[in-house]
Amino acid sequence: MSRLLSLLTLWVLGATAPLLAGVGEAAYERGDFVGALQTWRAQAEADGVTAELLSAIGNAEWKLGHKGRAMVCWERALLLSPRDPVALAGIKHALGAGGTDRPTQTWSENYAAFLGADLWLILGALGFWGTLLAVLVPKLRRQPMGDWTQRILITSATLFALSIPGLYGAYTLASRAVVRRTDVPVKLTPTVLGEALNGTAEGDVLRTGRKLNGHTYVTSADGKGGWMKSTELEPIWGGALPVNLDQPRAP
Amino acid sequence: MRACFAILFCFVATSLVRAESHVTWEITPPVCGPGQPFRLQVRIESDDVLGPANQVGKEIKPPRGMALRFSGQVFRANATEATLNFSGVAPEEEGNYVLPAFNARFPSQMVLVPAITLIVSSKTGYRKEGRARAELVLPDRTFFVGEKIAGGVVMRGSEQETVTGTFGLECEAEGFNFQTEGSSFTQPLQDGHGLTKTFELTPIRAGQGEFNLSGIMLVNTGDRISSLNISGRDRPFNFRRKLTVEHVPETGRPADWGGSIGKLEITPPDLSNRFPEVGEPIKLKLTLVGEGNLERIIAPEIPGTDTWDIALASELRQRRSEGRRTFIYTLVPRLPGDLKTPAVRFQTFNPDNKKFEAVEFVSVAVKVSGNAPAKVELVTIDPSAKVGTPAAKMITGLLTPTVAAGVKGVAKIEPLAASQPFWLSNTGALVVLLLATAVISVVGYFAAHPEFLIRRQARGNLRRARAAAQDAYRRQDYAAYARAMTQGLRTGAAPLLKAEPLALTQSDILRALPTASPTLIEAIFLAAAGEKYGAKDPRQTIAEDAQLQAMLNTLEAQL
Repeated sequence: MSRLLSLLTLWVLGATAPLLAGVGEAAYERGDFVGALQTWRAQAEADGVTAELLSAIGNAEWKLGHKGRAMVCWERALLLSPRDPVALAGIKHALGAGGTDRPTQTWSENYAAFLGADLWLILGALGFWGTLLAVLVPKLRRQPMGDWTQRILITSATLFALSIPGLYGAYTLASRAVVRRTDVPVKLTPTVLGEALNGTAEGDVLRTGRKLNGHTYVTSADGKGGWMKSTELEPIWGGALPVNLDQPRAP
Repeated sequence: MRACFAILFCFVATSLVRAESHVTWEITPPVCGPGQPFRLQVRIESDDVLGPANQVGKEIKPPRGMALRFSGQVFRANATEATLNFSGVAPEEEGNYVLPAFNARFPSQMVLVPAITLIVSSKTGYRKEGRARAELVLPDRTFFVGEKIAGGVVMRGSEQETVTGTFGLECEAEGFNFQTEGSSFTQPLQDGHGLTKTFELTPIRAGQGEFNLSGIMLVNTGDRISSLNISGRDRPFNFRRKLTVEHVPETGRPADWGGSIGKLEITPPDLSNRFPEVGEPIKLKLTLVGEGNLERIIAPEIPGTDTWDIALASELRQRRSEGRRTFIYTLVPRLPGDLKTPAVRFQTFNPDNKKFEAVEFVSVAVKVSGNAPAKVELVTIDPSAKVGTPAAKMITGLLTPTVAAGVKGVAKIEPLAASQPFWLSNTGALVVLLLATAVISVVGYFAAHPEFLIRRQARGNLRRARAAAQDAYRRQDYAAYARAMTQGLRTGAAPLLKAEPLALTQSDILRALPTASPTLIEAIFLAAAGEKYGAKDPRQTIAEDAQLQAMLNTLEAQL
């Protein structure tokens, strides 16, 4: 009996899976962005997030006017797939029509975005170990370097040297966050009543620095620095779906 | 004769023309409170030179209860205009008071100043007496996340206490963004006794929050300290109010709502060219004005049509205080003829009636000249795309997302650089490699230089032999003392001579210790091994213990 039930469950799941796959897109197409968002969120919670899913959620959030959440989704989609067309179009649209700001990427960040942070780290680690072993092993064996050892040494050292700007670019790319609240001021000091220097809008991407007293040092797209409450920002790395800031945190 | 009549007519006509005078007046403030001082200014413009006015004060008959006196004339020689200034105090009763018409007499002419009406109302907020006080002006309703709330602090003074300035305005409100626009936004009240300081408040999260605003106003109490100095004091004020904030409701929210909250108004759309050719880009400038969070509005996407390619080109950035927002679209006509630009609709949420409302920029008629391309791709959105090639991508706007089914994703996007096992394994491997390298290097070094270990071992043996000798000395065991001392000398000398300790004789010891006493060395060797040869009593060697210890020390120092 239990086997029969499990077979029936599998059949039902198999039959409904393709339907669920198009539900979000259909809702999005007919303008039901809340429905699309709910479908995609459920999918993300069940199967985890992919670049496509995050881009789609970003679009729906943007359509609902949640600029901060949309930018977080698109930026995270680009972390998973640096050339995701939907996320790139979304960010371009947000910068042009939406009035959000995003720091211009440096050459090292553009270089890092070519492969992604993880791949750069793996290449860097391979280069490092290859170079180290190619130097140490002949010394420990008290033998001169052979032809193959020299080839490995040159290849590894080149790989390691090429990965350094990629690693640096990935590090600076990771040190960014999205403003999640509306009109959050950038303050002169990391205090509650700190003097407001200039304002930021929801969805602006800022470079982040050190943290102090519940505040984070941020640098805006036009290079102005100041302190902002850490709770008003959401880092690009280290999450999946955007955090719900309206939900009170557990004590 | 006709010419003579014409000249005469001109002369008579010019002499009969009367100089025209134009009279305007202004009362400051326009509406006075009961008993409030006011200023009346009468301006007269004439065709003739006016000069100084005579006996103006005597002509005026102010109504009952009103005090009014002529305070002077702004006088310029040979000027055709005159400004008469009057100071007055409004009556204590409310109502409209008419100052009857009067004559202003100038040397060249007399000008009739018409009747002037002064409105006295108690709603002006003017106070003759009383302390200066601050009032918070903030709408009493539910607010919405993201809206721009215009508020202000009205600092009302009186005749006795005038508010002359304010500073230190601070807001402590969790969940709100507070912004003032600088000191230029401190405006004087109409009665001249107070000030208004405006601010903008933007809720950033839903829920109930407490709004706490404090500041200090500078109050002039009017007491004279000296002829040049009037006393004043700082008077703080504080307001505390509970505010309720909600999200803009999702039910009934139009799909094209772009985050606007407030009351929008449109201005006529501005088109850069109404007679373009096919393919010639023209700019459509749409400007929104009104109250609300204009800077937060997302520009609506206008899809391309069969007749237009449309792209949101740019937007004019305006300061927050300007109260306007301009979007500029680029329109490219695809076909010739009489076309109309698409109507653009902006949705806004009205926080007062809690309903969504729409404003629409109407279509503008455009006459497009030129010829249609041989083949027109219907609804290509990229205006730069060549005719006949399908549009590869949109030049603006969001792409339609596609989500593949059944693809497993990640629960959390974290870089490999944040992975603890990655760094631990790499660090561990590096440490092991470095340790192995260090161990192998050390072992190899000692293998290449065995004398270090031999000497170290010899030092240890020498110290043990010395300890054994001292022990034998305490026990007065002369034979054991001599054996231990001999062993110590051999052990210490062996590494220096690169020989085995047991193979060394007295002469070998002397090679290692050239300054030592040969007699003593011979004696100690005899005492150690002389028993079997019937040697002398070894007691006398013990008496030379100090010299023998010095020999051992010399050997230890050389090792």
